[in-house]
Amino acid sequence: MSSIISSVRSTWTIAIYTWRQGMRQKTLIGFLLLSVLVIFGSSFLTAFLTQTTGTDTQVDIEAKLLKDICVTTISIFGMLITIFISASVVPGEVQNKVVYTVLSKPVRRFQYLLGKFIGVQLIVIINLALMGGLFFIALYAKQRIMPTLLLWSILLTYFEFLVVSAFTFAVSCSASSPVLPTIAGLFIYVTGNLIEYLKDVYNRAGQTGQWFDELIGKVAYGLYQILPNLQNFSMKTQILYLQPNDPPKDVQFPNLIWPKLWRGTSSRIGFSGARSCSPS
Amino acid sequence: MSAVIETQDLTKIYEGAFKGQDVHALTKLNLTIEAGEIFGYLGPNGSGKTTTIKMLLGLIFPTSGKIRILGRKDFGSPAVRRKIGFLPEGAYYPDFLRGEEVLSFFGKLYGLGGADLRKRIDWAIELVGMKHARKRLVRGYSKGMRQRIGLAQALLSNPDILILDEPTTGLDPIARKEIRDILSNLRDEGKTLLISSHELLEVEMISNRVGILSNGVLQTMGTLDELLTSRDVLLQVGAMSAEASGKLTAAGLEIEDQVKDNVKIRVPDQVSVYDALELCKTQNVPLLSVAPRRETLEELFVRIVGAAERAKEQS
Ligand SMILES: Nc1ncnc2c1ncn2[C@@H]1O[C@H](COP(=O)(O)OP(=O)(O)O)[C@@H](O)[C@H]1O
Ligand SMILES: [Mg+2]
Repeated sequence: MSSIISSVRSTWTIAIYTWRQGMRQKTLIGFLLLSVLVIFGSSFLTAFLTQTTGTDTQVDIEAKLLKDICVTTISIFGMLITIFISASVVPGEVQNKVVYTVLSKPVRRFQYLLGKFIGVQLIVIINLALMGGLFFIALYAKQRIMPTLLLWSILLTYFEFLVVSAFTFAVSCSASSPVLPTIAGLFIYVTGNLIEYLKDVYNRAGQTGQWFDELIGKVAYGLYQILPNLQNFSMKTQILYLQPNDPPKDVQFPNLIWPKLWRGTSSRIGFSGARSCSPS
Repeated sequence: MSAVIETQDLTKIYEGAFKGQDVHALTKLNLTIEAGEIFGYLGPNGSGKTTTIKMLLGLIFPTSGKIRILGRKDFGSPAVRRKIGFLPEGAYYPDFLRGEEVLSFFGKLYGLGGADLRKRIDWAIELVGMKHARKRLVRGYSKGMRQRIGLAQALLSNPDILILDEPTTGLDPIARKEIRDILSNLRDEGKTLLISSHELLEVEMISNRVGILSNGVLQTMGTLDELLTSRDVLLQVGAMSAEASGKLTAAGLEIEDQVKDNVKIRVPDQVSVYDALELCKTQNVPLLSVAPRRETLEELFVRIVGAAERAKEQS
């Protein structure tokens, strides 16, 4: 029993110190400052516009603009931070040989990796909370309504980051530098968001009857089957077009807590609603 | 006495990308280190010292052979690791932690905590003379400062076994002296130390047993008294003529060092000391002293490693 407790404690120690080191890295702080700047800048800009022309529809349009900028910023900068951190934490310590010192302590390899992964999640969560918190305040200041929908969106965004982070981290464990896992992470992020296009490609392929046309169709279908659909985690359209305190549509809780993230095997999860409610 | 560290035919081959590129880093090492010993593990660069140490700590896996630490086969288990302090070669520590945070990090991994941990950190930082820089990031440390923090983290948990990989490489003379003093204190406390090094003078000062490694093969092992037994004799004489010097050399004596009117002459084992003295007398060479000449560790090292290199070239 005491060995289990001490093993949990070691894992947690590694997580905490990973987090502490991560938060001191300049690249990370740079990303964070930049996103804070964008969120502040956009809310300031829209506030300025509102003052000059104060009609109701104007406020609506500007709130929409603010939301659009902020959601995009959080998603992109948050994702970059996530990929950067997940890709570099383990290869970094392998490269500078710190890993040998740590593993010479009473720590198992499994505890080390788990601790590192939890540490990465702490960094990602803190960053997301900071950016989301600022957006929350900016939005409240603009519309004077508690933007509870935003909290749902942030939660889902974290799940999206978690998928990409886990994948990047797994690749990074067998890489000797952060380059390969970074590319892998970006690949998952981009294709995961464009997955609907893959389906399109598959549907349209095979019309000309040429062999490579069919091949492309098959590849697209294969990718469509195995890649996660990250769009499922996006609430952007809901955030933009619903009231800030509306309840979220289509959040299926059992699926969120027990996420079947890989859509090939599972029924649709999460957020098909995000698309269905878009004003088309 | 009981064996603290024991290896049996320990072998490590690093596999190369292509056939024939394998590196035989360590071949059939049989090593026994008893409790309370200070073992000097010597060898030139690339002879396999670090490879051995990494295997003892379970950081890399042996190609073949057995290891026991404190008599246990599960030498990589946390229970055994808790009893070992390790100073890695090259002094790599987390860049974005402060000196004292490095210690609290590693201390917690050893299961220390609370007031006890704080006390031990203060003690270790004081011991290695890093009080002034304890709040600075390791990133800004010099090589010597990193090495000091490294020694502090190795000693932090008050382990019974210390494995130090080149503890004094890259340090200034004062730091070296300080570290040597720390190590001799540890010896007096009855700790078991394995020190890898190629700083022979230091090893000679603190070790009681040494092993010399070359090309992954242990060439010799024993206490300093056992190994440094040459029956040569050293004559110290005053000023002598060039003619006398020529005669002496012709008789098989070696002039080791000549400073004006103080000459050191080595009488090899195979030449009779009486003949040498007779020769000095007939040549009117003033005799200052006659003493046994113990081989230095450096001479032993050069001789043994040199012989191993030549044997390798011939094969
Ligand atoms: N990871 C590795 N891969 C391949 N060869 C290695 C590796 N580590 C060490 N070696 C080789 O093994 C030999 C012994 O190295 P090492 O144990 O570091 O020597 P020492 O510590 O005595 O200087 C050297 O020839 C070195 O090049
Ligand atoms: Mg070495």
